[in-house]
Amino acid sequence: MIDKKLIEECRGGNFNNFRKLVEVTSPIAFSVAFRMLGDDDQAKDVVQETMITIWQKLNKIKSAEGYKSWMYRIVINKCYDELRKRRRYPEFVPDEKTWALISNSFSDGPSSDLENSETAQIISLLTQKLSPKQKAVFILSEIEEMSNDEISEITGMSKSGIKANLHYARKNLSEMIEKYL
Amino acid sequence: MTMKPESEKYNKVLNILRNSNPILKSTKDIEKEVIKRISMSKQPGCNLTDVIDFLFGWVYIGWVRRSLVTASVFLVLVFVWQQGVMLKQINFLSRQIIVTGGETVNSPARQVEKLLMRYKSSGRSFPSQSITISEKQMKELLDSVNDLKIKYKDLMNLIEEDPELKKYIENKLIENNRSKIKL
Repeated sequence: MIDKKLIEECRGGNFNNFRKLVEVTSPIAFSVAFRMLGDDDQAKDVVQETMITIWQKLNKIKSAEGYKSWMYRIVINKCYDELRKRRRYPEFVPDEKTWALISNSFSDGPSSDLENSETAQIISLLTQKLSPKQKAVFILSEIEEMSNDEISEITGMSKSGIKANLHYARKNLSEMIEKYL
Repeated sequence: MTMKPESEKYNKVLNILRNSNPILKSTKDIEKEVIKRISMSKQPGCNLTDVIDFLFGWVYIGWVRRSLVTASVFLVLVFVWQQGVMLKQINFLSRQIIVTGGETVNSPARQVEKLLMRYKSSGRSFPSQSITISEKQMKELLDSVNDLKIKYKDLMNLIEEDPELKKYIENKLIENNRSKIKL
């Protein structure tokens, strides 16, 4: 939970409190960025860029209430930029070692906690055919468990757009799960 | 209610992904790097990125921002070019306009020649206020008169220095029954 008082103080230009805000906000931003990109280093870069943008534009948000969705919006847009850069990357085909790792994760049961690298492998494998928008909607809706209103505020998509993107994402993911797992 | 095996797998994957929250191990590193970069950007000096961020920071979609930057640069260039062309035209026109008796005339050199011919042919009784020429043309006219004066002086010096030439010219002038030039 992000402290609203802390945000207000940072909005006033308090540089020392911004350190605390970075400390609190970074893991949340990293979680989304990592799930969107499936890459540790790139996700860290996105978090850094996000934090810098937050510092530069923090006084432009209307109130501390809107901070979280505003932060998510910055992260998602920065992830879009990253995904756009790597649009021509070759298709992710897991090797035997990776397959063993993914299979173990599934056989361990639904509540097993995965390492970052394992999560990255699964995300890269399953979401490789999703468009950036579908990926964003899927992650925010299915994994971060946000409402359509929140997603609409973050991505700027209409509710029907969100539903359509989520439908295609689920369909695509089901096919990928059926194919690989 | 029984679930399809496909949905079971889907839900299982979702549960795994939900439960395995990615962990940011180097929060301190990120914090350090962010603070370092912010401190650097706080230093005085304004670069192009700052200006672009200031103008287009409200646009979060990359390609929209790039398009806006490109469009603005293009518009600025067009504006500068247009101003240049207009300035050139104004300078050109200010050098050109001649007004004769309320009539605007272009093409100065020829018109000035014509006006001078009219001046000559009308027995040098050109009414005042009936011709207006630009400052530049007046300067050219004065330069031309000065040039003529200098050449005349040179010619006179040449004749003065050469008695034979002087005599020859005098004889020629007498022969032609022209008014004498007092040398």
